[in-house]
Formats: sequence, C-alpha cells, structure tokens
Amino acid sequence: MTTTIMRRRRMTLKIAVLAGLFAGAAFAGLPVLWMLSSSFKSNTEIFEYPPRLVTESFSFDAYVTILTDPEKVRFFVNSYVVSLSVTALTLLVAILAAYAFSRFEFRGKRPLNMIIVSVQAVPPITLLIPYFGLIVTLGMYNTYPGLIFTYMVFTLPYAIIMMTGYFNTLPRELDEAVRVDGAGSMTALWRILVPISVPGIVSVGVYTFMIAWNEYLFALTLTKTQDMRTVPIGIQLLMGQHSYEWNEMMAMSILGSIPVLVLFLFFQRYFIAGLTSGSVKS
Amino acid sequence: MSKEAHGRRRTLRVLGASAAAVALFATAGCSASSDSGSGDGGDVTLEFAQWWEPELPDGAFRELMDEFEAENPGIKVELLSGPYASTKEQLFAGAAAGTMSDVVGLDGAWVSDFANQGAIADLTALMAESDYDDSELASQIQVDGATYMIPVVNFVYPMFTNDDLLAQAGVAAPPADRSEFAAAANAVAGLGDNTSGWILPLSLEAPNGIQNDVMSWVWATGGSMLDGGQPDVTNDEVTSAVEYIKGLWDEGAIAPGAFTMKEQDKVEEFTNGRVGMMIDSLAHINLIRETNPDLKFSISALPAEDGFDGERGIPYASWGIGVAESSEHPAEAWKLVDFLMSEETNAKLSSIANAFPGNTESVPDFVAEDELFATAFEIYQNGYPANEFTGLPVAEQLMRLFDEQFQVLLDGGQSVDEMLQKTQEAWLAEF
Amino acid sequence: MIITPIDSTAPPEPTPTPTRTPTPPASSASVRRSRLGRTLEPFGFIAPTALLMLVLMIVPIVLVIGYSFTDNVILNKNPEFVGIENFVTVLTDGVFATAIGNTLVFTVVSVIAHLLIGLAFAMLLNSPLVSNASRAVFRVIYILPWLFTAAVIAVLWRMLLSPNGVVNYLLSSDLEWLSSPALALGAVTFINIWAGYPFFMVSLLAGLQGIPADLYEAATVDGANGVQRFFNVTLPQLRPIIISMTLLDLIWTSQQFALIWLTTGGGPINVTEMLSTFTYKLAFSRYEFALASTSAVLILLFSMVLAFFYVRHQRARD
Repeated sequence: MTTTIMRRRRMTLKIAVLAGLFAGAAFAGLPVLWMLSSSFKSNTEIFEYPPRLVTESFSFDAYVTILTDPEKVRFFVNSYVVSLSVTALTLLVAILAAYAFSRFEFRGKRPLNMIIVSVQAVPPITLLIPYFGLIVTLGMYNTYPGLIFTYMVFTLPYAIIMMTGYFNTLPRELDEAVRVDGAGSMTALWRILVPISVPGIVSVGVYTFMIAWNEYLFALTLTKTQDMRTVPIGIQLLMGQHSYEWNEMMAMSILGSIPVLVLFLFFQRYFIAGLTSGSVKS
Repeated sequence: MSKEAHGRRRTLRVLGASAAAVALFATAGCSASSDSGSGDGGDVTLEFAQWWEPELPDGAFRELMDEFEAENPGIKVELLSGPYASTKEQLFAGAAAGTMSDVVGLDGAWVSDFANQGAIADLTALMAESDYDDSELASQIQVDGATYMIPVVNFVYPMFTNDDLLAQAGVAAPPADRSEFAAAANAVAGLGDNTSGWILPLSLEAPNGIQNDVMSWVWATGGSMLDGGQPDVTNDEVTSAVEYIKGLWDEGAIAPGAFTMKEQDKVEEFTNGRVGMMIDSLAHINLIRETNPDLKFSISALPAEDGFDGERGIPYASWGIGVAESSEHPAEAWKLVDFLMSEETNAKLSSIANAFPGNTESVPDFVAEDELFATAFEIYQNGYPANEFTGLPVAEQLMRLFDEQFQVLLDGGQSVDEMLQKTQEAWLAEF
Repeated sequence: MIITPIDSTAPPEPTPTPTRTPTPPASSASVRRSRLGRTLEPFGFIAPTALLMLVLMIVPIVLVIGYSFTDNVILNKNPEFVGIENFVTVLTDGVFATAIGNTLVFTVVSVIAHLLIGLAFAMLLNSPLVSNASRAVFRVIYILPWLFTAAVIAVLWRMLLSPNGVVNYLLSSDLEWLSSPALALGAVTFINIWAGYPFFMVSLLAGLQGIPADLYEAATVDGANGVQRFFNVTLPQLRPIIISMTLLDLIWTSQQFALIWLTTGGGPINVTEMLSTFTYKLAFSRYEFALASTSAVLILLFSMVLAFFYVRHQRARD
C-alpha cells in the first residue's frame, strides 16, 4: 500500500520535474530557434507577418556565403587563437591567485581582494581611450597579445573570485594532510585541490572562453586590420549604415556559438559525475 | 598598529615603484612604436579608415584603390574597414592616441567635433599647397571658415511611396503637400491589417531620424532650425512641422514602435509592404528591389506646406572624407582625396554606391539607366541639398536632445511650445 | 551524524604561526627560512595577477580618476584642474538620478531572477528523476542564451519584440514592448534575465556536484524531507558560490551597456537610461570625457561599497 503511494508520489514529482524542464527549455530555446530559422530565410521573410518558422526559400545560402569567404573564416581563426589562449592563461594565473586567497593569510590580502572585485565595475567604455593609448604605447596595438592580455584583465577577477569560492568549499584537511606529509604547497594545489575542483575549473574556463569569444568593444578598438578582427566584429560588419544582412548575421551568430557549445558538450561530463562526493568526507 | 602602517607604507612604495617602471616602459615603447606610414622600398602606405567597403559590392572599393595605386606608383592604400555604428568611437580613440589613419571616412555630424579635437587637417590649406581647383566640388564642410570634410558622395532622402497600398486606400498619386500627405497616411492606416501610413524612426541610439524624418519637413518648406548659426527651433517653420507630425501621431497614422525604431527597421517595414510612405535614402532602392521584387513603389519630393512653391530643401547624408592632422604624408593623402573626387572616379563610386556624386561634373551611370534614379536626380536638381546638422558641434547630441523632448511630446507629456522651448534651451547650452 | 555547516567544512587558514609550522624545528635557521618561505609564498602566487592588473587595469583607472578632476580632456590639449566641479555637475544632473534609479531596478531584478532561475534550472538538471540522456539534452538547451554576443542578443530580441514580431503574434497582442515608456524597462530587464541566467546555472550545477552525498544521506536519516534537505543542506553548501556570483552579477549587470544601448538607446524618453548609457553619452555624444570619467569614478565608488561588504563577508567567515 505505502509503496503504491510512494510510487504515485514519485510519478507526480517526475511529471512536475519534466514539466518544469520543458517550460525552461521553451524559455531558453525558442528565441534561439527563431534565430536559427531566420538564418535559413531570405531577408524579407524574416520580417513577414504573420511570422513562419520555415519558409519556401529555405536555404543554406547565408552559411555558404560566410564559410566561403576567407576573410570571415579568418575571423573565426582569430577568435579561436585569442579565446583559447585567454582561457588557458586565465585559468593558470587565477588558480594560483585563488589558492593564495583561499589558503593563506598575508599582508594586503583584503585591499587586493577589494581592488580585484571593484575594478570590474569601471564602465569599460570610459577606460577605452586611456586603455587604447596604453596598448599603443606598449606596442601591442593590432596584435594577439594585446587582445589576450586585455581579456585576461577582464576575466581574471571573475575567475579568481569563483575559484576562491570553489577552493573555500573544499575542506582544509585535504591539503593540510599532504603538507604534513612533507610536500610543498604546489603539490597540494596541483595534486589535490585542482583535480577535485575540475567541475569548478571547467565552468570558469567555459565562461572565460565565452567572454573572450563574444567581446566586441575592445576587439574592435585594439585591432585595425581585417586579418586581426574577431567574430563579433564580423557580425557587426553585417550591420551596415543603411541596412542589415539579417540572415547572414544570424548564420554567423549560430556558427559563432558552436565552439562554445562544443566546449560545453565536451566538458559536460564534469557537471554530471559527482566527482567530489566520494573524496570529500567531513 | 605601527607595524601595519609600516607595511602599508611599504606596499605603497612598491606600488609607486611599479607605476614608475610602467611609465618608463611606456615612454620607451612610445619612441619605439612602429610607424605605419613608411613601408619598404621608400613606398608610402596610406591607411584609409572607413565604413564604406563593407557597404559596397565585394571588392568594388578595393578595385578603385588599385586604380589609384596604378596611377600613383610609390603609394599604397591599406583599407581599414569597421562597422558604421562604431566608426566614430574608433576614430576618436585613434585621434586621442595619435594613431588615426591618414585618410578617414567622415559623417557630416562628426566634422565639427573632430576639427575641434584637432584630429583632422585643414583641407583648405592642403588644397592651396597642391594648387587644387575646387570649382568642381559640389560642397565642402567648413568649420570656422576652413574646409575639414569633402562630401564624396551624397545620399538624398526623397519620399518613397508604396503604390499598391496607396491605390488600395484610394490615393491616386503620391501626395505633394502636407494636407494630401496626412489624408493619404490616414487612409493607408485605415486599411487595417497591420498597415500604417507613415513610418518614423526615433531611436535614441541612432537619433538621425530627427535629421532625416523630422527636420526634413522643415527644410522641404524652405525653413531653417538655425538663425545666424545659433539654434532657433522655436520659429514658426519648426513649430508647424512639429505640430503637423504630432497631429499624424495622434491620428494613429504612424507605425507603432517609433520610439526605438532605427533606419534599418524603417526600411524592413516598408519593404514588407506594411507602410504606405517613408522618407528614406536613395541608397535603398536596389536593396528594396532585391529583397522584395514584387513591391511597386515610387519616389517623389518630400511634401511641402500647402501652397508652397519655393525651392525645396532635400535632406541628404554624405560619405565625407578628411585627412588626419597627425598624418605624416598629408600630400599623398590629399592625392587620394583628389583621386576620389575626380570626375571619373567619383562617377564610378556614385554608381556602385547608388549615391549622387560630390563632383558636379560626374554623372553616375544609373541616372541614364534607371527611371527611379532619374526621377530622384530631377528632384535633387530642382531643390537644394539641405542638412543643417552637418558641421554643427555635437550634432548627434543635438538630435538626441531634440528626440528626447519630441518623445515626451508624442507621449503626451508636454505641449509643442514647451517641447520646443526646452529643446532650444538644451541646444543653446551645447553651443 | 550532524550536518556540517559550510563554515566548518571550509575552515580558514589561521595566520601561520611558528607552532603551526608543519616542519619540525630542526635548526633555528631553517625554521626562519621556512617561515620566510611561508610568508612570501602567497605573494608568489599573486604576482602574475598583480602585475597584469597593475599595468593594464590600475594604470588606466588612475588616468580616468585624474581626468575626473580636470575641465575637459582629450578635446582639450591643456586640461586644467577644476577640483570637484565635475562631481557637482554630475551629481546635480537630474538624469544621473534617473539613471541610478533605473540601474538599481534593472540590476536588482535581473540578479534576483538570474539566481532564482539559475538555481531552479540547476536543481531540475540535477534531479535524479530524469534520465541522463534527457538531462544532457536539456543542459545544452539551457545554456543556449549564453552563446551569443550582446549585439546579436539585442538584434534578436528587437526582432522578436517588434510590434509586428513573433511575441506579439504568439500572444495575439499589439504591444510596443520596447517602445512604450510603460513597458520598456521591464522588457529590457527581461532580455537581460534571459541572457544572463546560464551563468548562475552552470556555476551552481558545478557547485551541486561538490556537495558530499553523505550529507544528504545523513539528513534523510534524520528525517528531513526534500524541502528541508534543500534548505538545510543544498543552500548552505552552495552559499559561498551564490555569494560570489551574486556579487559579480551585481557588478556586471549594473554596467550592462551593449544590450540596453542596442535595444532602446536609453529610451523611450529616458525610462531605460542606465549609468552605463548615461556615461557613454557623456563621452561619445557630448565629448565630455572629464564628466564621463567623473561618472565612471562615481560608479567605481558605488561598487567599492559592494566590494567592501564582499570582503568583509569573506573576513567574517575567517
């Protein structure tokens, strides 16, 4: 008797969860579905009323136009180079800093923390002019390092704060134990903390990649030649003074979203398996 | 406590030292910073920053540059293209950092600001140096008596009418004066089915709707928003135009969404046959034809006040050109300007851009080949190009200030007189 | 077994004292060296960050702070020091007050919604009731809004929300979502909520994986139901992550520019005017870079307050 009730309750709960999942999927996915559908339409059909999801002039033309234009393909290459470098370097630098913030007391910790948190609030648009002058004088104008270091400045505070947060959730005993065994801090960090924090690191990494991949203002200002431009600028170039190439814009956005999506798919097993649950015991 | 204070002082000292090191590094980098102007083998490379290349057919603008390079051995042109919406910020940042390109594409609304910043060169002086005869130039944009920008090609803004919608609404011919226009607009709006009589983009992000779609009514009747170079928006002509548009708005003749609509949205709505009339750039003729081949539309002059028979001002926008003050090769830069303004090149550029030439002698191909363009050229020649925002300081901000007050008016928050009075005050503060 | 609150699962590192030094005191010299090593060590970890931030962030910020005390920079070749005049100008500007109000509404509503939606979606995705395969599919759908640059999100939603757009068609309404003064702020906030929740969702999803399963087992043994487990185990365990993210999101959302600028431009009238659009217009519409810098410095000061509470919270946990 009780098992039937339990089973029925479980059923109800499952239906509720599924309903929630579908509602959420509609909220998240329908606008993107519309974007996808627009990328297959002609420019007029995008604005027709009543709107239709699939139209007679369905075609991959917009995608072909983009993928056969070497200039646009170059935008993608640039975006990969910059975003991957930014992600790798940010993670490396942030893990070190977060370790210090999470596990050490040192002079200047609080002011440093405060600076790292609050500098993010300065509107980038006001930094644009002095920052541009700085990059030019440092000789990094129109180069990859110029973009990479710039994005690191924007991604590091986030990465450090989040990594500090993740490290703080891990019990101190873990690394203390290693250190008692005579190993150094570096061993404790890379052998113990980092492997346990992989889900956190992955989520920070994906986010860092995404910020770098989608940044527009500085990418535009700090580069000048077409062979240094990144994808968001390529998309914006389709928004002309008088008219937009709507379908190509949508197609390029869809293409631009694929790398982040792939990255996420590739790493998503880290979000599933309870990697840490076994090792963390209180 | 003293220990902590000591530590803090030490941190400060370290910070100071690092800052000094950075400054040193920066100065060293400054003197070593690469010089974009000098190429190898004594060649001069001119950087030409503009938003035109992406707007033109693929490779078309580069072809013109190749011609220039062939005619001028020893000069290379590097095209730096950016999105139009961000061009102004980019030029501004470049000017501030001293890395502005040698030759730059300009919009009339920015000229005064760049000239005041000392970013763009006095072209009058450059013309004198190279003994240039400026009699063929249709116009020059001047600040304090010196030319800073030359319009290369001009996009005029006539009235576009959707023939089918007007016919359905029982309107036989495009309206010629304000009463006819209001009647036509209301008739089209009365058709229902999502149609509107007129479309008015008032986005505050790109407030050029004020210039192209609002002030154009003033200019079409020979009016002015200035008096002796100072703002004069409370005069009768501006008041009557604003009252007229407010009337159309209250009657429901204007398409919904005006407050955040941009020029591009306006064109999409017209192309999709949902609006009877719009004031728009000639540059769009081909775009509209390509995207909706079935749409029948005509072009006519913007309606004037009832009974007006004077010369009509026709709003226009230009692709202007200027030379960076910081350019190390002003003479070569001028050669490029000269080339673009020459009769033959200017005609070619006008043809591919669907614009009217900045050289009075140039005749673009489309005038002979295309009926609509021929009509437009006639309108253009019967009137005079009018755009009072060109060359004004903070021109875009003036449009935005007008726009904000105008939106309050349309929203019912103030009267026409209040609106114009507030705008006048806001404009005076900027001059 | 007692459910361990977060403060004891993440005990803070006390200031290293000689008694806590793990290496046994072999000789006084080596103790000193190792103690010195322990004190200098964190600075080594921090160094790359500090160097990068100093050169590429602090220097421009110091320049901006300098600008805020001059009459006008960039345009003016020889700017003059004007003291706090710019601050008075900006603070007494009525639009600045409007912008603060709008920014507060926009930010607070966005962040709360981001947190609630992000947490709800993370919990749904973590639910054992759904099969792994369908969870994987939903996970991908849920991060979709994350994948696009702000300009594209703005263009997309302008299309969807236009008077003749899909939303009005689906709702059979004819509302001017972005153009009517009554709806615009809400519409812009909604777009921002849509675009921003995956940030919370993904981080919380990662956080959920880190919660030890035995905590739940223990709670169940203690007779806690689902709701109680959520409030007594899940939330406390996620607290550090939630606090960090809320802080970051507050700061980021309050300076959201592209989305607002490209959808409404701060309009209609000024109902969606934010601190970011206000500052932008000062800089690039009026060319008042000194005033724009002043506005930026004020924003920096506001966020310093936030940062202060964040850092104090961090310390309180020590």
